[in-house]
Amino acid sequence: MDKTDAKDQVQVLTKTKIDLSRLACAAPAANAVVGQSLQRTDDLLKVTGKLKYQADLPKEDCLHGKILRSPYPHALIKSIKTDKAKSLPGVAAVLTAADVPGRNGFGAIIPDQPVICADKVRFVGDGVALVAAETEKIALEALKLIEVEYEVLPAVFDPRDSLAEGAPKVHAQGNLISHDKLRKGDVEKGFAEAEVILERTYQVPFLEHAYLEPDVVLAALQPDGVMLVQGPMQAPFTTRRNVAPVLGLPINKVRCVQIHMGGGFGGKEDSPIDLGCRAAVLAWHTKRPVYMSLEREEVTLQTCKRHPMIMQVKIGASKDGKLTAFEGVIYDEQGAYASLGPRLPPAGGSHVHAMVMMAGPYEMSHVKVDAYLVYTNHPYGGAMRGFGAPQVHIAHEQAMDELAALLGISPLEIRRINAFKLGSATATGQVLDQSVGLRETLEACEKSFGFSKRFKQAGYINPKSSKRRGVGVGMGWYRTSIGTFGDGCGANVHVHEDGSVLLFTGITEMGQGAFTVLPQICAEELGVCLEDVRLVKPDTDQVPESGPTVGSRSTTLMGNAIILAARQVKESILEKASEMLMVPVSRLRASQRKIFDCENPERSLEFKAVATACMATGKRLIGQGWWAPPMATLDKETGQGNPYHVYTYSTHMAEVEVDVETGEVAVTDYVAAFDVGKAINPKALEGQIEGGVAMGLGYALMEEVAIVQGYTKNLGLNNYLIPTIMDVPNVKSVILEMTNNLGPYGAKGIGEMPNIPATPAILNAIAHACGGRVRSLPADPEKVFWAIREAGGPPPR
Amino acid sequence: MSNLEITFVLNGERVKVVTAPDALLVDLLRDTLGLTGTKVGCREGECGACTVLLDGKPVNSCLLPAVKAAGRSVTTIEGLAAADGTLHPLQEAFTEEGAAQCGFCTPGMILNAKALLDANPHPQEGEIRQALSGVLCRCTGYGKIVAAVKTASQSRK
Repeated sequence: MDKTDAKDQVQVLTKTKIDLSRLACAAPAANAVVGQSLQRTDDLLKVTGKLKYQADLPKEDCLHGKILRSPYPHALIKSIKTDKAKSLPGVAAVLTAADVPGRNGFGAIIPDQPVICADKVRFVGDGVALVAAETEKIALEALKLIEVEYEVLPAVFDPRDSLAEGAPKVHAQGNLISHDKLRKGDVEKGFAEAEVILERTYQVPFLEHAYLEPDVVLAALQPDGVMLVQGPMQAPFTTRRNVAPVLGLPINKVRCVQIHMGGGFGGKEDSPIDLGCRAAVLAWHTKRPVYMSLEREEVTLQTCKRHPMIMQVKIGASKDGKLTAFEGVIYDEQGAYASLGPRLPPAGGSHVHAMVMMAGPYEMSHVKVDAYLVYTNHPYGGAMRGFGAPQVHIAHEQAMDELAALLGISPLEIRRINAFKLGSATATGQVLDQSVGLRETLEACEKSFGFSKRFKQAGYINPKSSKRRGVGVGMGWYRTSIGTFGDGCGANVHVHEDGSVLLFTGITEMGQGAFTVLPQICAEELGVCLEDVRLVKPDTDQVPESGPTVGSRSTTLMGNAIILAARQVKESILEKASEMLMVPVSRLRASQRKIFDCENPERSLEFKAVATACMATGKRLIGQGWWAPPMATLDKETGQGNPYHVYTYSTHMAEVEVDVETGEVAVTDYVAAFDVGKAINPKALEGQIEGGVAMGLGYALMEEVAIVQGYTKNLGLNNYLIPTIMDVPNVKSVILEMTNNLGPYGAKGIGEMPNIPATPAILNAIAHACGGRVRSLPADPEKVFWAIREAGGPPPR
Repeated sequence: MSNLEITFVLNGERVKVVTAPDALLVDLLRDTLGLTGTKVGCREGECGACTVLLDGKPVNSCLLPAVKAAGRSVTTIEGLAAADGTLHPLQEAFTEEGAAQCGFCTPGMILNAKALLDANPHPQEGEIRQALSGVLCRCTGYGKIVAAVKTASQSRK
């Protein structure tokens, strides 16, 4: 990893109106904890096999819950007979729609998905009945004894068909969930100014998260009438918000406890709502704890996917490469249920996010985008590492390369001419006033990778080989936050008389490192060591509302809340130390378990001793912080506003080898540079980068949920392929720290960004290597093979 | 079919257990013996999270009938650290290099790497990748896992 000398460079254009006096990012001269690659707090448990995931916890007294699923993509339920199933020995409950005690619907935004379908099924996998039995085997037997009579309906599988006149209606109110618009300037004028115009359509399929830990949940009604829902979940508060009305309970009678996740990537925002509501209804009826786990095939069949999109792009430029106009249409396929898809004002929703980002991180005066979110009879779309952004980056980054080729300039040149810089206005008219290191990431990548030189050297790797080498670039930007009211988050910090600390937040751990990075921020702010801070795991009964662990928001938004909470306690500590040392508070600094006089550092006190004195004199040792970013804005008619408060920027460069005889692609070299604001834990951050690139590689080359007439054909990991250790090259990360005013120590979000430019960088490299461009993913050997033939066959030697 | 009693060596100790003839080793380990460090990701031998060592060789315990362990030696992730808690060099290296993210593949990765290093103490990168190619990881992009195995091999001298 390279850390460039851009470190400590503060890039801020305007002061925000939010009072940041308590969040001043002028961090202490030397951070003792923040910025250090400290070992993860849960590593020891992971490498010894002692870390307990939900499936590892005892389930002796549990009933096993199972779901009877629809065998049709679209059908009416004419009748359900459950008598035979109910009479099977060992069966505790067989439930149908009438048994749902409260609202028969769940969903992160619109509760349009039935807990148990009453009259109609909308995709293969929809839940028609629920069973709880003494063993899993009996539950599976019982499913076979339920008799359902269906009347099959015509189904719709393409969003464009779905919008056509007379298309089968997936939901009674129609198939168009939302049509959102972005209008900036006058595209007609912009295209009139253009000397070169490119029009293309790019298409991406459903993607499976393929987290290694299959979904699982435990629901148990407590003696006091509280429903406990426990398991891997990215959004315990959203789960609670759904389980409560399904049971007809107030929110304070549902308790969601997050257990360490074996990967989430956005998918475990949705799936615990689905499983949690269903297990809770079974537990409600049986008054027994219910354990519900999905097999791998069920995970693929039932849970949300990355939204497929059809993206039409028209882009114009003057001869010198300056972009003049962009026009885009997005058909965002939501599938059977709304999940996280729909617009949540002001700027939430997958198609809204895609719309905002579709023109790319490039300056342009004229932009028009229409984004349609549409129901079909497919599985449903949800969040997956980028939520609409990976899709549109695949469109605009390929379009940029195709346009550069028409203009006869290099892929780097067209980006250098147009890339955002501090003060640029985005397609939504947002003036970027915080840390815009996009151009710097391009130059850092170029310096490390040597793109310009390698770009001129494309060709067969040797005279006898059928493999050609090429390089590609992908640029990107990504928000830090979700652009809705759900961004507010709270943290509590408790300091004890021995100097030890408890940190309470609702941010969840799925492998990204939150349980290390968040305590690091807390320790830094208090002036203690990482090992002094114990993080209390997310439990909605104990931690303040934190919003979901999504949108690359955990470190940055929660980090600010933690700083605010810690400072309340630190105020007590410094006041007490001031009394004890007879030195004014302004001269005191806390670091590494000591409070010392800056002017005479030998005069110091142990943090512990001051905490003891605070406790003995009744001084406050508990802090609560709350932070929400500046309120998002986005006009419903014009798509103009400030949808997200700060963005991370990145450039990726990839080298590939394409076998022009077979279409096989190998990624052989990779550099990715990021403007992250501040690396709180550089090693953990690097882990996010490497993992994100690998996932982007899968999107480019092999991943696709193959659905034929509503039936998913690749349910297992034997045919839904994800990158193995043989597919992913060593990734070199370059980290630029251009701090901003709105993040803890200047940090910006990083969880999703690395995933996003990776896919188009690889696709652009393939096109460079062999001349064939795959515009409908994945670029598997067959598609690459034919793309080469469409482009006129293998280039001459 | 009646249950069978089998004896095998588990993490260095002789164990005698009763198992159903159709039970899989992973379920015997997790449910009967309480060793939940061995993970279940797919039950079809694709993800490798359930890897254990059978007489020192990596196997997918989700595909192996439990009775096949009879008379043999099984090592799980719980058997790697010394009795006093001292970590195996691979476990040390995985923490040092940041090679575990969600941790679900970690036991399978470490056990495959152990089998490799036991047979080939100083492997080349290509050999490391080949040896770990049966275990899927969705979090790390594999780079830090390769680095951890290299670090562990160097610490062995």
